[in-house]
Amino acid sequence: MRRTRVCASAVALVFSCAASAQQTPVVDDYDVIYAPAMVAPEATTAVLTEIDATTERAVAVGDYGVIVTRDKNSSEWQQAEVPTSVFLTSVDFANQDIGWAVGHHGVILKTTDGGLTWQRQLDGFAYIELQISFFETYVNELESRLANDNLDAEQEADLEFMLDEALFQLDNAVFAQEEGPTKPFLDVLALSKDELYVSGAYGALLYSNDGGESWQIHDTRVENPDGFHLNALQSDGEMLYLAGEAGQLFRSDDAGASWDVLDSPYYGSFFGMHVDQQKRLWIYGLRGNIFVSDDQGLSFTQLKLDDPVNINTAIDAPDNGLYFVGNAGVVAYLSATGELQERTHQSGAALTDMVINADGQLTLVGQRGVLSMPSFALTEKE
Amino acid sequence: MSEQQVATATDKSVFLERLIFNFRPFWVVLFALLTVFLGWHASQVRPEASLTKMIPTNHPFIQNYFEHRDDLASLGNVVRIAVETTDETIFTAEFQKTLQEITDEVFFIPGVDRAGLKSIWTPNVRWSEVTEEGFVGGPVIPDNWDASQQSLEQLRTNVLRSGEVGNLVANNFQSALIYVPLNEVNPDTGEPLDYQAFSEQLEERIRDKYQSDNVKIHITGFAKIIGDLIEGAMQVGLFFLLAIIITLVMLFAYSRCWRSSFAVLSCSIIAVIWQLGIIKLIGSGINPYSMLVPFLVFAIGVSHGVQIINAMSGNRVDGHDRVMSSRLAFRALYIAGLTALVSDAIGFTTLMVIDIEVIQELAIAASIGVAVVVLTNLGLLPIIMSYTGISEGGRKYSERVRNESHPVLTLFERFSQPKWAYSALLVALVGLTWGLVQGQQLKIGDLDAGAPELRPDSRYNLDNKFIVDNYSSSTDIFVVMAKTAPSQCIAYDNLEVMDRFSWHMENTPGVQDVKSVVYVAKMGGFGLNEGNLKWFSLNRNQYVLNANTGRTPPGLINPDCSMAPIIIYLNDHKAETLKTVVSAVDDFNARYQQEGLELLMAAGNSGIEAATNSVIEAAQYKMLLWVYGVVIVLVFITFRSLRTVACIVLPLALTTIMSQGLMATLGIGVKVATLPVIALGVGIGVDYGIYIYAKIKEGLEQGMHLDECYKYALDNTGKAVGFTGLTLAIGVATWIFSPIKFQADMGILLTFMFLWNMLGALILIPALARLFASFGKK
Repeated sequence: MRRTRVCASAVALVFSCAASAQQTPVVDDYDVIYAPAMVAPEATTAVLTEIDATTERAVAVGDYGVIVTRDKNSSEWQQAEVPTSVFLTSVDFANQDIGWAVGHHGVILKTTDGGLTWQRQLDGFAYIELQISFFETYVNELESRLANDNLDAEQEADLEFMLDEALFQLDNAVFAQEEGPTKPFLDVLALSKDELYVSGAYGALLYSNDGGESWQIHDTRVENPDGFHLNALQSDGEMLYLAGEAGQLFRSDDAGASWDVLDSPYYGSFFGMHVDQQKRLWIYGLRGNIFVSDDQGLSFTQLKLDDPVNINTAIDAPDNGLYFVGNAGVVAYLSATGELQERTHQSGAALTDMVINADGQLTLVGQRGVLSMPSFALTEKE
Repeated sequence: MSEQQVATATDKSVFLERLIFNFRPFWVVLFALLTVFLGWHASQVRPEASLTKMIPTNHPFIQNYFEHRDDLASLGNVVRIAVETTDETIFTAEFQKTLQEITDEVFFIPGVDRAGLKSIWTPNVRWSEVTEEGFVGGPVIPDNWDASQQSLEQLRTNVLRSGEVGNLVANNFQSALIYVPLNEVNPDTGEPLDYQAFSEQLEERIRDKYQSDNVKIHITGFAKIIGDLIEGAMQVGLFFLLAIIITLVMLFAYSRCWRSSFAVLSCSIIAVIWQLGIIKLIGSGINPYSMLVPFLVFAIGVSHGVQIINAMSGNRVDGHDRVMSSRLAFRALYIAGLTALVSDAIGFTTLMVIDIEVIQELAIAASIGVAVVVLTNLGLLPIIMSYTGISEGGRKYSERVRNESHPVLTLFERFSQPKWAYSALLVALVGLTWGLVQGQQLKIGDLDAGAPELRPDSRYNLDNKFIVDNYSSSTDIFVVMAKTAPSQCIAYDNLEVMDRFSWHMENTPGVQDVKSVVYVAKMGGFGLNEGNLKWFSLNRNQYVLNANTGRTPPGLINPDCSMAPIIIYLNDHKAETLKTVVSAVDDFNARYQQEGLELLMAAGNSGIEAATNSVIEAAQYKMLLWVYGVVIVLVFITFRSLRTVACIVLPLALTTIMSQGLMATLGIGVKVATLPVIALGVGIGVDYGIYIYAKIKEGLEQGMHLDECYKYALDNTGKAVGFTGLTLAIGVATWIFSPIKFQADMGILLTFMFLWNMLGALILIPALARLFASFGKK
């Protein structure tokens, strides 16, 4: 789409465009990380995983490096220029211009023009190098601490356990140099134009404080010895939250320097977290399970949908209610007064995220790309 | 007749004539024996519809397809039976009972791959969901099924969870599907599947038995198409009877003599019997395309037979006896007849340039048929007539009409006069313009939805439409074969390129959906990670990929994992759609060259059609060039004048162009069935021109004026040309009513061409001759 737009805009470019179409270079070492996303007329039908709205436009990411944008007050989707074709899993904007998208194969992308063009900041091969150097340093540090004579037996046992873990991670990273990056990133949280967190599979946690120029590995700050997937990141402005596979739930009150394990209300996996206008924390996951906390994650109340499907996202509705979307086309609405209604999108496809448009229509994304349905309030009026 | 007359007649006899007439009893016995022998063989001929013969087997697509045919077999050969209820929903006890019974019945039909049989009543159809402990699931039919309301509710829930809505259950819940894979070869006997028998079983044991006011049955699948094709082809046998009856009536109207009418009819039928017997002997068969040939042979036989009895009755009127009349008729006609038949045969032979077996079989069968007509209607018919003679009534009738000028002929005679000639040419010019303008819209390939072999409103295509409308499946399938080294078909690097290819194709206009093992692998990632869609991706870890592809359905990878079909579902099978798809695949292959991976076109019905279209498109002009080249050379050799060539060939060209316009107007594409029609039309059409111009030339040589020449030609051959045109047209016109769409298309076009060529010869040849003559003067 973008290419055609550029070509059409300037007559002088017509010839060069025609020429560039002629001389398509042969690709004999295809790697999904470095192949620019294909210009795709059907981009909005790709599997899409998340959608985020800035003041200017809605931006959705998904399969084949597809990023599509829809300007405020428009119904047309445009495909953004993206220098990778990996499966993107998450997108988050710090402000109307700056945002990040992350995905499989260790890819992190940044935009500075509100989502129209994207640059690669990290890829899986660089991430592996980062892991190796981090775990080498960490192993050295643990070894020197172990060399200290003043340790008691328990401290020594702890350190040895940590060292084993670190060596295991280091081995993995060294092996991955051969195999290539296999760990997907699963969520990105932009705290400001400089600070952001990225979480991923097998306990991956990355942090940057320079807008993604450099990255720190924070895996070891989270007590996750089984290497469970870290599916979701959230912030209420005061606390940071991290949730994942098998009921993993963590909280940080020092901006991520250290993470506390919270008492999890559930042993199944969480797929997302949401902080509503009243600063309540919502976490949700497998089999229609939704939990809400009024005390920053210390205690939870449970809500359960009729349909035992995965709940993937919750967002605020304009009337203080909440929408949830999940697999099998489930869209649920929880009114401010606590009534829960469920509907199923006719496609029956897994839904992963949504935004509410000014006209009351819901824009849903998921397995079948961009879909829409009228908001519950809209259909009740009729 | 006096001794002297016979002697004179005998003196002028040629060798061929003596050979025939001096040994009449011998020939009669020989012909009778041969007819019995070949008739016995002809009775063994069965209509067949072999896919391989209908496709261009030397095209690279087809070669690739053949190379992987065994691996692709399980993919395509499936019958779908939709059981529809007229009630609100399928979730009623009564409907479920019927569905269960039908499923059981299908299970026992020979040819069904029982392990692969699927309906919501087979135990292999399961629902599943992700729980904290992993997957749970079970068969869609609840274990404690008792047809109660509660059971039905449970069933509905299970169906929704099973993901079968759109597959085994219609999107509107008013029908359910039984998916019936077939064994190409019977595993017990090793015999190949008899499609026709299978199709009949489906009709008897399923449709006839279970279709009622409340339950409708819809059946689709390749086996059903073939079954319906053969069944439809059988009906064509009835058309042959019809053609015989109409011809007999016409023959009698023409000759007013039952004896000669039956003689011509018998000889022509003998020609058909011989032709069928010979193709059986040479190991060839009869297919829905070459079924046209007996009709043509019959019609050609009749048209030449008419010339013989026409000449004979003339001779009888002149007072010759039976034998002498017959000899004289033979003597007068054998050269003209041979020339015309040879030109027919050569016209048919040009079809051999098209590399599609059914067309070549048709060409061979038609050439054999024409050769046979030479023997039966130029050889046997005069012998028979020398015994039977012309009846008294026939003789009198022909004596009477000889002295009258037929009103229709009088009308045609005017076209040699300038005013009429130029008006006719003007009309021809209008026709030409129409043909050229309309012909621009002429499309290659099949244009209708569903099975293009059958009529759009045939039961099969209505069933097909029902299934396409109510289920999420396209029936236009283009398969690209991803070929790798053994055990590399799900290697990460290969899958990644195949994934990009799938996305490339999904973004190609006309493509609905793309499915392959890549999709299975990505769905596996999604499913095995607790139904988290953020894992819908390929992983570089081969163990993970192997686990994710663990549930690959058979057919999506071959046993040694060296080939994985990529199935591209299309909106339709129009030629442009197929071309776009082919060039999109070519573009991708030019760009991405992964070592150890080849993306080969093409299988699936649309892949095969793409190959056929490209062969047809290339052959279209080649064939026209050949057939016109041959005709021009032949006419030039006969008349040694370029002006004559123009007079004879231009009306033919007009017919060709106008029939292309007609095809475009009627929405008939250029395809395996219609391409040969042009050659047949031109090959036979040129006969008229040759006959008429031969007589005009004869008149000119005798110093007649052009108008007189034309009158002379019309008096001598006009009636025969008219009769021939009508006989040929009637023989093929019965095809218009064929249940098989392409046979109907062939019927329409051939009828049009035979009639129009006849009119062209009768009207435009004198008009053109007039035009050239006036040029000559200036």
